[in-house]
Order: sequence, then C-alpha cells, then structure tokens
Amino acid sequence: MMIQQQGKKVGLPLMNLVRLNRTPILKQLHLEEKLLRKSSTNWCIINDGTDTPAIVMGISGKPSELLEIGSVLRDQVPVIKRFTGGGTVVVDKGTVFVTLICNKDDVPGVQPYPRSIMSWSGLLYNQVFKGIADFQLRENDYVFGNRKFGGNAQSITKNRWIHHTSFLWDYAEGNMAFLKQPARAPEYRM
Amino acid sequence: MMISRRIWQKRPPTSSWIFLRPYTSQISVPSPSPSRFPVQTPSLIGFLSSYAASSFRSVYKISSLEMPSMVSRCCYSNHALADLPASGIVDVPLAQTGEGIAECELLKWFVKEGDEIEEFQPLCAVQSDKATIEITSRYKGKVAQLLHAPGNIVKVGETLLKLVVGDSAVPTPSSDVLESVKPPGSENSPDSKLNKDTVGGVLATPTVRNLAKLYGINLYDVDATGKDGRVLKEDVLKYAVQKGAADGPSTASVSADCREQLLGEEETYPQTFAEVKWYPDDKTVPLRGFQRTMVKTMSMAAKIPHFHYVEEINCDALVKLKASFQNNNSDPNIKHTFLPSLIKSLSMAMSKYPFMNSCFNEESLEVILKGSHNIGIAMATQHGLAVPNIKNVQSLSILEITKELSRLQQLAKDNELNPADNSGGTITLSNIGAIGGKFGAPLLNLPEVAIIAMGRIEKVPRLSDDGNVYPSPIMTVNIGADHRVLDGATVAKFCNEWKQLIENPELLLLQMR
Repeated sequence: MMIQQQGKKVGLPLMNLVRLNRTPILKQLHLEEKLLRKSSTNWCIINDGTDTPAIVMGISGKPSELLEIGSVLRDQVPVIKRFTGGGTVVVDKGTVFVTLICNKDDVPGVQPYPRSIMSWSGLLYNQVFKGIADFQLRENDYVFGNRKFGGNAQSITKNRWIHHTSFLWDYAEGNMAFLKQPARAPEYRM
Repeated sequence: MMISRRIWQKRPPTSSWIFLRPYTSQISVPSPSPSRFPVQTPSLIGFLSSYAASSFRSVYKISSLEMPSMVSRCCYSNHALADLPASGIVDVPLAQTGEGIAECELLKWFVKEGDEIEEFQPLCAVQSDKATIEITSRYKGKVAQLLHAPGNIVKVGETLLKLVVGDSAVPTPSSDVLESVKPPGSENSPDSKLNKDTVGGVLATPTVRNLAKLYGINLYDVDATGKDGRVLKEDVLKYAVQKGAADGPSTASVSADCREQLLGEEETYPQTFAEVKWYPDDKTVPLRGFQRTMVKTMSMAAKIPHFHYVEEINCDALVKLKASFQNNNSDPNIKHTFLPSLIKSLSMAMSKYPFMNSCFNEESLEVILKGSHNIGIAMATQHGLAVPNIKNVQSLSILEITKELSRLQQLAKDNELNPADNSGGTITLSNIGAIGGKFGAPLLNLPEVAIIAMGRIEKVPRLSDDGNVYPSPIMTVNIGADHRVLDGATVAKFCNEWKQLIENPELLLLQMR
C-alpha cells in the first residue's frame, strides 16, 4: 500500500508482475479473465510454456474452418476458445506467454482501442528485441522481417483492457498440421 | 509463482516509429511521450487535433464527426447531454474502433429491448480482427430496438441499436412511446391536411406514418395489432382496403394520385385499393465467403485490358475418347467426363506457348513464365463461384486428373476447399457449357493472363467436301486474354494447337513421356 501511494506520488501507475512456469494455458486464461473483469490494478503475466500442447482459438473461432478436425480428434488435442478475439495458435512448452492487463487511464498516451494498445506494446517489445533480427509489429503480428513469431489479441472492457501474446520461442512442426490456413492473411504476407 | 510489484518503467521517448500499416496512411498515431494525456472529456477541438479519425468515441462523451451514415439525431458535440433532444429515439452506431477496421462481428448483447440503461453501461461486445471490445452507452435511456443479432457483421457507422433517451413526456396510455422521428422525405408532403395525422401519440414507425399520410388515413382510426398497441404496415393497408370499399369512387381517385407518389417512391404498392396485396419487403443479403471475394477480384479484373478470341472445336474425337474411357472403366468410383482430356491437352498446348501460363508483374513490367501448369476449374457451388486448381497438370495422366477433379468438385460442393486448393492457379477453365450457353466472354482470374470459357457441345449441321450435310458436335470456346502480355497471334496459334490436340487426341501420344 505504501509503495502504491508513493508510486502515485511520482505520477506513474504500478504493475503487478506474475511469473509462471508451465502453468496450463487454460488455467492461465481463467486467471487473466478474472483479473481483467474483477481486479482494479495492472498486471503483467509471464508464463514460460504450458504443460501439454493445446490449440487456442479466438472468441469467434469456428473449429471446422480453422482446424484439421480429424487430426485433432485422433490425437486428442485440447481445443480452447479464449475470451479475446484474434486467431488460432498451437501452444506447448516452447511457447512464452506474455499478458498485459491495464486500467484504461493508467498507461500514458494509450487509449483503449486496439491500434493504440498495439502501438504501445510494439514499442515495449522493441526494447525487448532490440537489435534482434529485424523485429517489428507488422499490422497485428510480431515478426522478424516477415516471419510471424507471435500473434496477439485484445479484449477491451469499459475501464480496462488486456493484450496478450503467445511468442513461439520454439514449436513442434508436427503440431502446426492441426491448423488450417486461415482464410484471411495479413497484407505483408500476400 | 512469484508476485512482485514493480514501479512502472518510464518509457524513453522514441522518435522513430517502426510501423507498417499499408492501408492506414491517413491516420496519424499519437506521439508516445510519457506526458499525461488528458482522458476525462477534453474539449472536442483539443481531442481532434491529436487524433485524426479513430478514437474509440462511444466510450467517451465525444461523438465522431466522420460517420456519414448517422442519419438520425446523434449528437455532434462532446456536450452530449446538453445537446440531447428532450425526448426521442437515438441511433447508436458502431463507432470506429481502430483505424482501417471497417466492420466488426457482434458477439453478444448485454441488454435486451425494454431494458433501462445508465450512461456508460456496457451494451454489447463486438470483435474486430484481434480485439473484443465492449461498447458502452453514451446516454441514459431505454433500449428501444436491437438491430443486429450475435454473429452479424456490423459496419462501422451502422446503427447497432436504438435508444429512447430523456423523459418521453407524451400523454398517451401506453408507457413506452416511440415518438415519431420524421424521415426527411416526409417534410415535403404537399397535403397539409394530412399533417395532423402524424402528430405523435400513436406508436408507429416512420415508414408506417408515411404510408398512412399518403393514403390520407388518420392513425388513430386504425386498429393496431402490433406490440404495445403499435400500428403496423398491415394494419394501415387493411384499414385502407376497408376504407376504400366503404368510400367508393372518391377514394379511388385519391388512391390514383397516391399511387403515382407511391410508385415513385417505393414501387411495391398495388394497382387499386380493391387489390391490396401484402408485398414482400426487400431482402438484404450480405455478401460473404466466395461472393465477397468475387466482388474484389472481379473489380480488379475489370481494370485489365482484355481481348477475346473465339474458336469452334470439333468434338467428334473427344466424344469417342470419353466413350472409350467409360466403356473400359473398371472402377465404379470414377466417372469419365470431357474435362480431364481438355485439361490435359490444354497443358500440352501450353508447353509450346508458355506465355499463356504466366503472370504479369505490373510494377516491374515482367512476365513470369510459370513452371507448373496449375489449371483452375471454375465451379458453381451453392456458396458461390469457386475456382480450385489442379496442380502440376503437366505431370499428371488423364486418369489422375479425373480423380483430382472429382476430389475438388466434392470439396467445393461441401464448401471445404482449403486455401491451397484455391491459390496458385496459372490459367483458368470455365466450363460454363455444363450449365448452358454458347460461349461467354470471361474475365481474367488475376494474376493469370488467360482464361478459357467453353460452351456446351452441341450438334450442328456441317457441310462435307462433297456438299453433304452431316451433324457435328461443336464446342465454342472463348479465350479471354490480358492484352498487355498476349497478342492475338499468340493466342490464335495456341488455340490452334489446343484444337488440334482435342480433335486428334492420338497426337497426345506423340508427346507423351
């Protein structure tokens, strides 16, 4: 509480940092949604990998359009529909998840709409990946050059927003076969 | 699990902006300086000078001036409450939620019709690309009508729902009154006597009020059958019929004048009162999937200078070939048609004329001669026009082509074609003749440079050398070509080669490996 008050005096909001290791992605998503809707402070959650491979779709994802259902059923891969928009990803122990949950007024210069949030997160990750392999935020994806290595998604509520990313630190090629090519591709890949 | 608190790191001001947004060049992104940005209702001018177009204004009390489709009385200043009408229906549009985003999918409603809502109460959740966004209400009021269902795609600027705002202090027996918001057209009504019929107090939509006015009907006289005593269109029409039958000829002459006005405006109204029918309303069909893609691709194709080359091909040999395949077919799953042979001979002809199997790069003025013959086959499905392609026809036998064609046709029928099937084509065949028609003038399937439309094979009379008439199965083909890359001579020679292979299929053996 003291730190919070002191922080407020300096004029900067506080952020709680949560470090997880191999926490199941479903549990992480439950936690995130709860924090978004019920908490009133800012959070940064970092999860180093999930325990078993899983497929995570956006809120309006339709399995028949996005997944090779036969393979998914055969290999009994869990399919999760998350509460944010965006696309589909296969995650496993090689995925690094980074989530930012903020009050709309707390981040200087950031307005609660997707482009503004992503401008800011792009800058943040620019610092992280400085000098590495031409990192950019291109349209909605985090890329090295024109190779996407992290997708992201948002949910914006009345007073808060969440921006979360799955960075593919490593991935199993075989797992990618569970996903169909999406109907829409970003312009930079055309 | 480690929880720690960190003081927020002050971001160093950056001057460079690494950001590739090819379609949003007109929007300026705010400078990321760490100075506090005022968030509570700044003045409209101040706000607009920082953000060009796309702030999420339905959250704040600032309306966007860039919404051309906002017809009704939405406020245009940040002093939303001050400018509000004392009572009235307000259209709540889907505000711009991020530059370049033209539409969102409605995910769910948090309110229903009739609910009282507070200012800034969440109304619904929408999804645009990567974000789900809660839309909150600018006003306090009551939900009058929800205009979209979950799953609908809503364009930015389109009305999401209608709200009744303020105190609707109209003295009528029904509790929630829809005060009439007159559409602009109705102001021009020539007959002043009719104006008194549109005084508020009766529940009816503007269209119904207009209809009643044109028929010279007082809404109070009409038996209302709608919810909460609302007068519906059918009620007015029914009353009009009864009135017409009772009043006789005088009404008929009025109706004649009205008819002209009506036909001018809506064109769906009956000839006379006695024959009043309930005409169906217009149906709006949003274009999705293949149809939506077709809008884009055909608009681009129309910009290319096409020329068309027409030829007739004698299909005697083709018919015999197909019959032979079918008679000697041991596999019941395979059905032999003309297409595979046409496809294979097309590929053989393209080997001699590789420019037909190319694509054109406008910027660099280069023609890329494609190595693979990926022949696209236009298919009419219930979901729209699909053009999957058979890859590497140059390496496939006619039997393999038959099987692959069948596989693609089944997928197309079930709407299960994957993007790999639909992309990478190098030339397209449109067998429109399977449905009917002599031939068509096809539009290119970009970035290809040629497309071939084949009419149906029909028996026509031909003259033999000795002057006798004999029947001949003739197919007319029309080759559409990109005149920036191909000229008439090239296409003609190519077509001659293809025609020769179809009419003399034994020649395929010469080139077979």
